Amino acid sequence: MTNIYAALELGTTRTVLAVGEARTGERLKVTRHAEIPSSGIRKSQILDIRQATLSIKSVLREIERRQGEAGDSITIGNAFLVVSGQHVKADPYQGTTPVEGTKVSNDDIDEVVRSSRLMALPKDREILDIVDQVYGLDSLGGIASPKGLSGRILKLDTLQIHADANRINDAKTAAGEAHLEIRDPLFAVTCAADAVLDDAERRDGVLVLDLGGGSTGCAVYADGYLAAANVIGVGGDHVSNDIAYAFQTTQAQAEALKKTEASAILGSDHGASARVQVPGSSPLIETRTISRRALDTVVNLRLKELVSVIRGGLEDRDLLHRLHAGVVLTGGGAAMRGVDALIQRELGLPVRIGRPVNVDGLSDAENPASFAAVAGALMFAHRNYERKPLISSIFKGLFK
Amino acid sequence: MNNKSPLLLVGIGGAGSAMARGVSRAFGESMRYVLADTDAATGRPGTPFVLLGGDRLSGHGSGGDVVQARLAAEDSLKSFDEHLEGVRLAVVLAALGGGTGGGATLEVVKHFDKCGVPTIVFATLPFSFEGDERQRRARGMMSMIDEASSAAVFVHLDNLIGDADKMDDAMRRAVDTLASGVTLFWRLLEKPGYIRLDAERVRKIVAHAGRGRFAVVTAQGPSRAPEAVDALARSPLLAAGAGPVRSILCGVLAGEDLRLSEVGCIAEGVRDAFGRRAAFDLATVNDEATFTGRIAVVVLLFEAGAEGEPDEEGKSSSAPKRGKRPKNPLAQGPQGRGRFNNVEPTVWNGEDLDTPTFIRRNISLDL
Repeated sequence: MTNIYAALELGTTRTVLAVGEARTGERLKVTRHAEIPSSGIRKSQILDIRQATLSIKSVLREIERRQGEAGDSITIGNAFLVVSGQHVKADPYQGTTPVEGTKVSNDDIDEVVRSSRLMALPKDREILDIVDQVYGLDSLGGIASPKGLSGRILKLDTLQIHADANRINDAKTAAGEAHLEIRDPLFAVTCAADAVLDDAERRDGVLVLDLGGGSTGCAVYADGYLAAANVIGVGGDHVSNDIAYAFQTTQAQAEALKKTEASAILGSDHGASARVQVPGSSPLIETRTISRRALDTVVNLRLKELVSVIRGGLEDRDLLHRLHAGVVLTGGGAAMRGVDALIQRELGLPVRIGRPVNVDGLSDAENPASFAAVAGALMFAHRNYERKPLISSIFKGLFK
Repeated sequence: MNNKSPLLLVGIGGAGSAMARGVSRAFGESMRYVLADTDAATGRPGTPFVLLGGDRLSGHGSGGDVVQARLAAEDSLKSFDEHLEGVRLAVVLAALGGGTGGGATLEVVKHFDKCGVPTIVFATLPFSFEGDERQRRARGMMSMIDEASSAAVFVHLDNLIGDADKMDDAMRRAVDTLASGVTLFWRLLEKPGYIRLDAERVRKIVAHAGRGRFAVVTAQGPSRAPEAVDALARSPLLAAGAGPVRSILCGVLAGEDLRLSEVGCIAEGVRDAFGRRAAFDLATVNDEATFTGRIAVVVLLFEAGAEGEPDEEGKSSSAPKRGKRPKNPLAQGPQGRGRFNNVEPTVWNGEDLDTPTFIRRNISLDL
């Protein structure tokens, strides 16, 4: 039986939809993917439900058009939602339980897992994921598997990832208006990490940076588990805004300059006097030129600052020295010229662009790293919903 | 206590309550205030006090847990309603870095906003020696409090201790310094003056005011006015923030010997020091009993909003909020927040990261 899943990312600059298919127990293949520019969203927050709905409808139409060209006739009725934005937080929480006998049993492990799920949250927060990190037994920490060990108090460290419930509801409302039911909301950067990392990197220590339009997601893996995560409310849109403000351009012109001309590195390849053309935004406005060095300076300052915020967060948590496998970049921002070199220089770590290597079907994408989060969401769906009795009811909406 | 005053002082958490108590002691019986904490020991007989989350935490405090403090505050929000009758403006005092000061303050401020009461939050940030965890916790709450309140002033405790050396002295001096500053601010609002500043006027000034900076200086002698201006210009509490200053509130407290030329000197000096293009509000208070022979100058600088902006309905009665500013969302603001004008700000180490970096770093571009 072939399972089919869909994942939606309602981003600040792009709305992305991907469809994945896999037979039970087999590797997932992304069979369709499409992206269109988003409207009505700023810094990952929906400001205009109607515009966001139109974006979702457009990307649905685009997927359906592509399926039609390929001879398919699937109508997508539900999708997993990839969530980002600075409203997403990850807090550590420890579950504890007394060990019933002298050695830790499966029941003790079940009990400590249960107690680690009891963190209370304010009403306006919604749990996206609870990630088990390591067990502890009395004063001993860092235990991967406690069964059979002797001790009195069993502990389980977890990372509780939660988000503003209102923001998620807004996305559900917009999707609902487009006749798309939202299944589980999932954390973008950990989804992206699932799609691009291998086990060795997780063990050796790696930072995944999901460079989105409105925010940057950060996830640190060390010793094989997710050690920390957060979202910084600065993304590619800030680079465009800075360019628009510096050179008095429209947002669209700034976006084009960022993608085609700007570099995050202040290099010497163009010379100090090099100029960049800015086409007029209407027939009445003439094309003009701006200094390439000034353009690169604006971009460099913004991205260097972002990296210094990231570095501060890593140093606060004493994680920077644990990243032996370096940094992996995902998201639309990973394609920005020189961003990998800048991060390498500022953090002193090797940097690579994160292609979704753990799924098939994205090799033809123009910027595969920008599909990492939706690819990871499809992997989550495949991992958690295949073979389960719920499958027929959950996914029947996929076929209308 | 004057239960008809349109101004309410709220102290939240142990340190916030201590500051509020200090202000109340200095100001006198007529002040309207309420204290709130998750720790029952903060309450005193005869003192208006809200125990936050009594059922949840049994009055033992939040144990430094921001989430527990938020939940506790949520449990007890209704208890504030009896204290809000007729209130037009609330001044909230808190210390960030622990549990209740940050977590409960956020929920209380949000509740006041729902009740139509704008808030100015004065919150301290931990001493640098208090460790990364408290700093991180404080930073995490700053942006949320920024967003929920009408105006917020965050003061690093490091900037309040002067030359205090002993730990105990440093803590006490920091709390006393902020409390005395807020006391003077309160006098500006409550005492009569030639140029009156009342709750309604402040309500309009702080509407959409955003992140603020706050300092108080005192001076005496024949050159007290220029000396006060000089001290303000050098004050670390008023050091440059994330963007240009958009509105200035300046209050002069003095006895009957205050001269017109001194008021002019202070007004011009403050505008020269902090921005001539900013909206400027001046108030004077005649407090002969307290200020014979000397003056105190209170300055509040705000980096967003301007005086008297109406809310969406054009009414002045509902609590204004930055997220509801009636502006073209695509217009570039004077600070360059541009398309981020109407969304939750990204604040890091006191800087508004939505403002272009090159502006905040004062980098001039060779175009």
